[in-house]
Amino acid sequence: MMDLDPRQYEHVIVNDSDVRNIVLSYLVHNCFNETAETFLACTGMKQPVDYLVDMDKRKSIFHFVLDGNALKAIELTEQLAPNLLEDDKDLHFDLLSLHFIDLVCSRKCTEALEFAQTELTPLGKLHKYVEKLEDLMALLAYEEPEKSPMFHLLSSDYRQNIADCLNRAILAYPNLPSYSSMERLIRQATVVRQFLHQELSKDGPPTFSLKAFLKN
Amino acid sequence: MGGVEDDEPPSKRVKASTEDLRSPFDNSSRSVPISPLGGSMARPLLSQGKDDMIGSKGVIKKVEFVRIITKALYSLGYERSGAALEEESGICLHSSVVNLFRKQVLDGNWNESVLTLHKIGLSDESILKSASFLILERKFFELLEKDRVMDALKTLRSEITPLGIDKKRVHELSSCVVSPQQRLLLGFANLGIETSNSRLKLLEDLQKLFPPTVMIPERRLEHLVEQALSVQREACYLHNSLDNSLSLYTDHHCGKDQIPSCTVQVLQAHHDEVWFLQFSNNGKYLASSSNDRSVIIWEVHEDGELSLKHMLTGHQKPVLMVAWSPDDFQLLTSGMEEAVRRWDVRTGDCIHVYEKGGLGLISCGWFPDGRQIFSGATDKSTCLWDLDGKEVESWKGQRTTRTSDMAVTKDGRWIISICRETAILLVDREAKLEKLIEEDQTITSFSLSGDDNFLLLNLVNQEIHLWSIKDDPVCVTRYRGHKRSRFLIRSCFGGYKQAFIASGSEDSQVYIWHRGTGDLIKALPGHSGAVNCVSWNPADPHMLASASDDHTIRIWGLNRAHLKCKEAYSNGVADQCNGKGQ
Repeated sequence: MMDLDPRQYEHVIVNDSDVRNIVLSYLVHNCFNETAETFLACTGMKQPVDYLVDMDKRKSIFHFVLDGNALKAIELTEQLAPNLLEDDKDLHFDLLSLHFIDLVCSRKCTEALEFAQTELTPLGKLHKYVEKLEDLMALLAYEEPEKSPMFHLLSSDYRQNIADCLNRAILAYPNLPSYSSMERLIRQATVVRQFLHQELSKDGPPTFSLKAFLKN
Repeated sequence: MGGVEDDEPPSKRVKASTEDLRSPFDNSSRSVPISPLGGSMARPLLSQGKDDMIGSKGVIKKVEFVRIITKALYSLGYERSGAALEEESGICLHSSVVNLFRKQVLDGNWNESVLTLHKIGLSDESILKSASFLILERKFFELLEKDRVMDALKTLRSEITPLGIDKKRVHELSSCVVSPQQRLLLGFANLGIETSNSRLKLLEDLQKLFPPTVMIPERRLEHLVEQALSVQREACYLHNSLDNSLSLYTDHHCGKDQIPSCTVQVLQAHHDEVWFLQFSNNGKYLASSSNDRSVIIWEVHEDGELSLKHMLTGHQKPVLMVAWSPDDFQLLTSGMEEAVRRWDVRTGDCIHVYEKGGLGLISCGWFPDGRQIFSGATDKSTCLWDLDGKEVESWKGQRTTRTSDMAVTKDGRWIISICRETAILLVDREAKLEKLIEEDQTITSFSLSGDDNFLLLNLVNQEIHLWSIKDDPVCVTRYRGHKRSRFLIRSCFGGYKQAFIASGSEDSQVYIWHRGTGDLIKALPGHSGAVNCVSWNPADPHMLASASDDHTIRIWGLNRAHLKCKEAYSNGVADQCNGKGQ
C-alpha cells in the first residue's frame, strides 16, 4: 500500500480491470444480465463462476416481488436458497405481508381474511410483529386502502425496499457480498470524508456528496 | 284542522306527527315560555305561566320534574305506573321519535335505528356520527358473534369506516375480524348470553352522547336525592355516626346526642394515677399505663364493655406511655427514664427490653413498617432500633427533657418531633427537606391526625392548636376551655372522620370541641382527679376513654335514654349508629 498524501490525489493510479470489476459487480448485483453479458463480451473479461446462472433466478424473484406475486417469489427463493427464509423470520414476514397487501389491493377480501387468519396471526405471537400486524389488519377496514393512514404499505417504495432486502439476503446466503463494490466504495468515501471533516474541521475536505461529486 | 275541542283539558290533546318531528330546539315559532321539549311534545302551544314551575322557590320546571319521576318509575320496574303518569300528565318521557329509536335499538334493528337517529333532530354532526358509530359497532359485533364474518367486515368497510371518526377504534375492529382473541381483549365476548342487558347498556351509552332533554339520564332522580343527602351530611355539624343511611323524611342533622357524653364504664384496676392510655388501631383493645409501674391491656367486647385482658408488670418505674404496633399484635411501653419494653398482646409476655447504656428512655414509638422502633432519651437524643435491639441510628436534639413525643407519618416519609421548647420539626427522610412549626408558648405534647395532614399541639398556656402540615405549616384553629397548669395533659383527634378534638384537663373534666369551628361542645364531669390523657376509639366514634389521677379510667358513650327515645320514633329502619348497642 502506498503511503499517500491527500494532495497527491491526482497521482493515484487506478487499475482498469479493477474498474471493470466494479461495474460488473453493480450489474450483477442488480440482475442486469443482458447488459452484463454485453459488457463481458465488449471488455473480453472472463465470466465469474455461477454468477450469471443465479442472476436469472434472482432477477425473476426480484420482479415477482415488485409485481405483486410474493408467493411465487417465496417459492423460488426456497428453491434457490433453501432455509433462507426459515432463518430470516423478519424477511419471511415481510414477504407474507406483501402477499396480504396484494390481496387487499385486488379487493379479494375473503381470501385476504383467510390468509391473514392462517398465515399471519400465528406470527402475531412475537411481540415485534404485533404493531405491524395491527397496521396490516387495519387495511381490511377500508374500501379504499390507498386512502387509509397505512397507504405507505401499498407504495412501490415499500415493495422495492423488501425486494432489495430479499436480493441482498439471497446474495449473502452463499456468502457473496450483499452490497455491490460500487456501493461500498461510495460508502467508504463518505465515511472517510466525514471523519476527516470532523477531525480537521475547516482544514479538512468537505463531507462527501455524490451529487456534488458527479457534477464536478 | 285538528278536531280538538276547546273545553278539553290541555293534557288530553294528543296531536299527530308534524309537531313530533320538529326539533326540540326549534324555538323560533314560540312566543310563550319555552318548555324544554318544545315541539317534540304533544302539548299545545299555550301553557299558563304558573303551571310551568313548581316548588316554593319556583326553580323547578314542572315538565322536567315529571319526566324525571316517570323515568324513575320505569327504572324501578313500574311499567304501568310510568305509562299511567305519562298519560295522566300529558308529559311524555320521550318523544315518539325517540321511543321508536329506543325500540329499534333494543330490537336490534340497526339500520333503521340509524335512520331514525337522524330524525330525532340533533343538530350536532359529531353527536350523530358518534351515535351512529356506537350503533354500527354493536351491529358489527353481533354479526361476528353469529359468525357472519364477511357481513361484519362489510359493515365495517362500508358503514363504519366512512363515518371518518375514531380511526383507532376502526383499526381495532379490523383486528377483531381476523382474530377471536382480540374480541376477548376488547371485552366483547359473551355478547349473545346477555343480549338484552347489553343492548340496554348501549342505550345508556347513547343517552350519554345526547343532550339530556332528548333522553333523560339513567338514575337522575336518585342522583339528585343523593346530592341533597350529601349536602345535609356535610352540613351536619355534629355528625358522628358510622351509619351512612340517612332518612329522606327529615333533613339530617345530628344533635349533641351523638357525642359520647355519658360514663358507660369505670375501669378500676390501677393502684395509682393513670397517666396514659390509647386504643389499638383496630379499636379492639385499650392499653393504659400508670404511676403504679404497670400497663394494662383491656379488651373491647362486641357489646362495648371492656374487661381486663393482661396486666403487664416488669417496669421498675412509672410507665409514661405506650405505643401500639401498626398491626396491633405488639405493644411498646416506656418507663420514666428507664427502659422500653416490647410485649406480645395476645399472651401478655415481654418479648424484648431495650436499653441504652446509662441513659434513661422516656418515650417510644413504631415506624409504620413495624420493623423499627424509636425512643427518646433523657439526654435529648432520639434512638432508632430494629426489633432485635440493634441500634440503627441515633440523633441529638434540643427538646425539653420532660416529654419527647415523636411521630412518623404512615408512608414512613416524615419524622415529626419536638426540637425546641417552642418548635416542632418535620423532617422528610427522602427528600431531605425540613419544615418547622413555631409557637410562642412551650409545647408540651402533640398528636398526628389519622390522615397525616394535621398536628394537634398542646401548649403551656392552656390552648390547643391545630396546624395543617400538608404544605407549609399553618395554624388553622385554636381550642380553649380546659385547664392545665402543672401537669402534662394530652389531647387527641376522634369521632367520625376525626371531626372532633378531645382533651383531658386539670379540672377533672373531659373536654370535647368541634374540630372545624373550634366550638366547645361538651365538658364531661365524672373523674375526681386531673384527667391526664384521652383516647377516642378509632373504630367506634361513640367510645371515648379518659385516664385520670383518681386511679380510674372512664369509658364514655352515648346517652342510652336518648337513643331509646329516638328509636321509638324511627321509621322502622334501625336508626342507631352502630350495632354495639351502647
